[in-house]
Amino acid sequence: MAYRTFAAIDIGSYELAIKIFEISSKNGIKVIDHIMHRIELGTDSYYTGKISSERIDELCRRLSEFTNVMESYKVDDYKAYGTSAIRETKNSVILLDQLRTRTGIKIEVLSNSEQRFLDYKSVASKGQAFQDIIGKSTAFIDIGGGSIQLSLFDRESLVTTQNMRPGVLRMREELTSISHRSYQLEDLVEEMLCDRFESFMKMFVGDKKIQNVILIDDYVSRVLQKSAFKSDKKGYIEAKDFIALVDSLKARKSREIAEALKISEENIQLLHLSALMLKYMLNELDAQLLWVPGVSICDGMAYEYAEKNKLFSDTDKFVVHDFEQDILACARDINRRYSGIERRTNEREELSLAIFDHMKKQCGLSKRDRLLLQLAAILSECGRYISLSNVGMSAYNIIMATEIIGLSHLEREIVANIVKYITERFEYNEILGRVTTLDREAYLKIAKLTAILRLAEGIDISHKGKCDKIKLANKGENMVITVETNADMTLELGFFSRCGAFFEEVFNIKPVLKQKNSDL
Amino acid sequence: MKNKFFTRNICLRHNLQVHQEWGIKMGEIDYSRPEYYLNRELSWLAFNSRILGEARDKSIPLFERLKFLSITASNLDEFFMVRVASLKDLVNAGITKPDISGLTPLQQLDRVNAATHEFVGMQYSAYNKSLLPLLSQNGLMVVEYHEELTDKDCAFVDRYFQDYVYPVLTPMAVDSSRPFPLIRNKSLNLGALVSRKTKGSARKLLFHKKAAQGRELEFATVQVPSGIPRIVELPSAEDGTKRVMLLEQVIERNMDKLFLNYDIECVFPFRIMRNADFSLAEEDTEDLLKEMEKQLKKRQWGQAIRLEVEDGIDKRLLDIIKKELMIDERDIYNIPGPLDLTFLMKMYALPGFDALKTEQYVPQQVPELPSGVDIFEQIKKHDILLHHPYQTFTPVVDFIKQASRDPNVLAIKQTLYRVSGNSPIIAALAQAAENGKQVSVLVELKARFDEENNIVWAKMLEKAGCHVIYGLVGLKTHCKITLVVRREEEGIRRYVHLGTGNYNDATAKLYTDLGLLTCDEAIGEDATAVFNMLSGYSEPLGWNHLALAPLWLKEKFLYLINREKENAENKRPARIVAKMNSLCDPDIIKAFYEAAAAGVRIELIIRGICCLKTGVEGTNGNIEVRSIVGNFLEHARIFYFENGGSSELYMGSADMMPRNLERRVEILFPILNPELKEKVWHVLEVQLRDNLKAQFLRADGTYAKTDKELVTKENACCAQEEFCREYRAEATMLEKEQRQARVFKPEYKQE
Repeated sequence: MAYRTFAAIDIGSYELAIKIFEISSKNGIKVIDHIMHRIELGTDSYYTGKISSERIDELCRRLSEFTNVMESYKVDDYKAYGTSAIRETKNSVILLDQLRTRTGIKIEVLSNSEQRFLDYKSVASKGQAFQDIIGKSTAFIDIGGGSIQLSLFDRESLVTTQNMRPGVLRMREELTSISHRSYQLEDLVEEMLCDRFESFMKMFVGDKKIQNVILIDDYVSRVLQKSAFKSDKKGYIEAKDFIALVDSLKARKSREIAEALKISEENIQLLHLSALMLKYMLNELDAQLLWVPGVSICDGMAYEYAEKNKLFSDTDKFVVHDFEQDILACARDINRRYSGIERRTNEREELSLAIFDHMKKQCGLSKRDRLLLQLAAILSECGRYISLSNVGMSAYNIIMATEIIGLSHLEREIVANIVKYITERFEYNEILGRVTTLDREAYLKIAKLTAILRLAEGIDISHKGKCDKIKLANKGENMVITVETNADMTLELGFFSRCGAFFEEVFNIKPVLKQKNSDL
Repeated sequence: MKNKFFTRNICLRHNLQVHQEWGIKMGEIDYSRPEYYLNRELSWLAFNSRILGEARDKSIPLFERLKFLSITASNLDEFFMVRVASLKDLVNAGITKPDISGLTPLQQLDRVNAATHEFVGMQYSAYNKSLLPLLSQNGLMVVEYHEELTDKDCAFVDRYFQDYVYPVLTPMAVDSSRPFPLIRNKSLNLGALVSRKTKGSARKLLFHKKAAQGRELEFATVQVPSGIPRIVELPSAEDGTKRVMLLEQVIERNMDKLFLNYDIECVFPFRIMRNADFSLAEEDTEDLLKEMEKQLKKRQWGQAIRLEVEDGIDKRLLDIIKKELMIDERDIYNIPGPLDLTFLMKMYALPGFDALKTEQYVPQQVPELPSGVDIFEQIKKHDILLHHPYQTFTPVVDFIKQASRDPNVLAIKQTLYRVSGNSPIIAALAQAAENGKQVSVLVELKARFDEENNIVWAKMLEKAGCHVIYGLVGLKTHCKITLVVRREEEGIRRYVHLGTGNYNDATAKLYTDLGLLTCDEAIGEDATAVFNMLSGYSEPLGWNHLALAPLWLKEKFLYLINREKENAENKRPARIVAKMNSLCDPDIIKAFYEAAAAGVRIELIIRGICCLKTGVEGTNGNIEVRSIVGNFLEHARIFYFENGGSSELYMGSADMMPRNLERRVEILFPILNPELKEKVWHVLEVQLRDNLKAQFLRADGTYAKTDKELVTKENACCAQEEFCREYRAEATMLEKEQRQARVFKPEYKQE
């Protein structure tokens, strides 16, 4: 049986973990080993902006041990991701270089949305169980050290995803600066959450009835995974039972809680906070069932690795979730929130993808770039919500300020720039001169995708949905776009050369628009 | 099995009825009261008395009796160095908190003292009155005092002294310029009163007290060297009787040669025991290995807690020793015979007396694991149970050896608590590391009295390239687990050995233990998590089958006992059979009482300490405790729970003692395979049938064997002998089968 061993390393805010997986088409993803070490990197980075040298030493020592672990399993490949603690370290570039030199492990830093996307993938790796639960309206709560990610599902599709501060570690640090008594803790937690959570409820939940909650965190999940609740299925708990459990802990000392829940005393504080946060959200959402899949970001990493390397065969009994659809659903949700006209964006999406698919062999763009183009098309209208005269810049600002699950910061910036340059003058080299994460490759990507989107815009400049069908064909140095329509195309034909100029400049192909009467 | 349980259930109902007739309401009795518990130290002394009982048992071959007497002596030494020492520490620290039986440390010390003095009296009574005469009758004469030697013997002894003994002796005299020397823990010494020779003082005055009157006496001493055999063989008597003398007598006779300028006033042997119980401030220790080496050196300087002197010792000599060692009167033991009876183990080994010993049992081959077989392939077929010493320990060694050579093996991980000298397991682990395997070994440096050995092993393994962990801060790693990770066609597979006894090929020939070889995926996952935890990583999200001390095991035991209690209350089959070395955890004992009161039949097979009492009110005779002391040291820990008819069997490394459940890393593992479960049950069932060696705990805390009148030819059972017979028969059968399989097949010309 062919299988691959893969190691996923997660450098989290308060824990360092490695999971070794065996991935095969026959058995899917199987965890071989799971090693965790508590190290509160977040305590340092959130408040001082740097990680202390003692903690770096400890981190290096443990990472070196992880290298041995990987060696002992002779892993075929590995991925090591740092999350918010590393992300929020001022000198993260120096730190990552140091870690690589001292341990040999290359660590990549995930943006919040990438991190949450992997968390999400880890839950999706549960296959049918995940599909079953999101079949009903479901909230997905991912409590991290720095922030909480809240996502809503309805009938198997992602409705929205929002990031909200503080996370559990950040909350603990903030609470330590306030003098309070233990009986006040629950109220304080609620007060710190309610401001943002109420907005979330108003904007995204409204009258919707949320039935299920999926939880990912590092403390409550562990306890609930271990405990035998009334439910027959491991990891499924009635929300009221969970709330009763949290209430039963109220008057107890940390030692008693540690004994009752069979966890070490050092984890009690964060567990308690995490539990109170969850209790508050469960109450607000009025959910009935809590599902704790007991997975971590490492499972998401393995899932992603298996996906990328096509390790799931067609005959897989495993349900493979379509994550691209989730990213697109998120973008559509943003578009709706900013009152974008869906009819227009749909048309632009369709036209631009038709051009992309025709051009893909010549322009060296990838499947992922296609997704970015699609996102840019969907979000191209959102700027109008702010200003009708300054659409491009407004859209840019909205996109840059909004998290889109599954996109890295760089990808988000690419999308924002594409949307901006549909209407704004392309800034050429100035783009790279700005304070930005964009590199040369990203710059070219922006140029190419902007050119495609501008061309698509040129085909339907009036946004009347005139095209019934388009055909693309290369003829010599021209790319002929034949639009089948009976509508009056005077405006489009008139402005097309202006819209196609940038395309010609980027691809060195002259786009030519032709109309063909649909009746013919 | 089921039928037996059914009949037990009838008894159970009857017990419940009795319960009600007596008008005892459940939950009324507070079982944590001290009168329901036996003192741990006194219970241990009772255990040593049971071993002494074997030494006194006339039905046992003479040389086996010597062995048992020797064991009682070495046991008592250890008991003093650790248990009595810690009681003294408590008394010195002014601690008065009573133990579970309600005795303060001082009260315990008083009772232990009285009991030990009585015990020593019984040891020497057995030695002098029973064993010595019998040895003499059977051709081995022990010449007790050098004064009894013939001239010919004297010449031999003096020559022996001159050639072998004298060169290694270091005589030491004490005077104003030479302080009292360090008397090493457990060493045998000769103490003497000497006076400087004056002109004309004649050698003939030796040993005459009066002659020394008026002269200043000094203390002199010489250690009886441990490197020279304690038993000196003298020329045989004319009738062929073998004659031996103890080394201290040889030296005593030649004492004047050690102190040439002195007259020897008197010479007497003495021996001290020091407090060997030390604690490490582990949290503050950067290098545990170095700290341990330092502490071990200090052990020789621990406070003297027991002084043994030959009966009739000169009072002046005793006073000097007493004063210098700062020892209490009650800690002095006047011994009516040779000090330190552990030499009897050497006497057991003297050649030529096989007829006076039990025939040596040869551990039998494990049917599934004949020599040369691929162990991994065999384990893959099904789990394998090993029962030592009835079955050979070789497969465990081979498991590591094969893993060390197997190109598919990625990693080997093992815990080591006590290993033999020249251990083949250590060699295999080192070899594996040299072969490029990832080898992680936890060597428990704090294994009492094996600390020095383990330091040597740890260093050696490290040198070979193994990743060595010296143990965990504040905990002793006592569990016995090996994990072999192998990359196979179907994926990574984990092979696990879990045992009740140490990875010690030498003691595996003497200790009865059980081991399990499995590649069960869930157990493999748990084993991986165990080693991750031992490497300092966080605990896993959950365990599949294993229960670990100190975090979960006690709770698991309490849960299992309580489940039986609930079953009994609900009139479902409920029974517990537990075999272990010691039982003294108060919470567990209380749970046993409560379960018994609810009607659970509890049968305990406890070799050593048992703080639980039988016949406690409300328990309705539902608890039976038996102790088996035999040729092999009972060591396995097996726990059976009837669980309402769906029985569960567990084995593990832990006794039900606070130290095991709260201060050690221990593993309890279930036996899941029905066939193996049946085999393990058989082990318990035979021990429950034992009516020859088993001794039963009575309500007064004493033990008694089955009434001889109740033992018939038909029902007589010695568990250890029965197992020997069974495994021999199995091996014979196997051999027969193998022989049959080896019949040549002639080929005939085809027509």
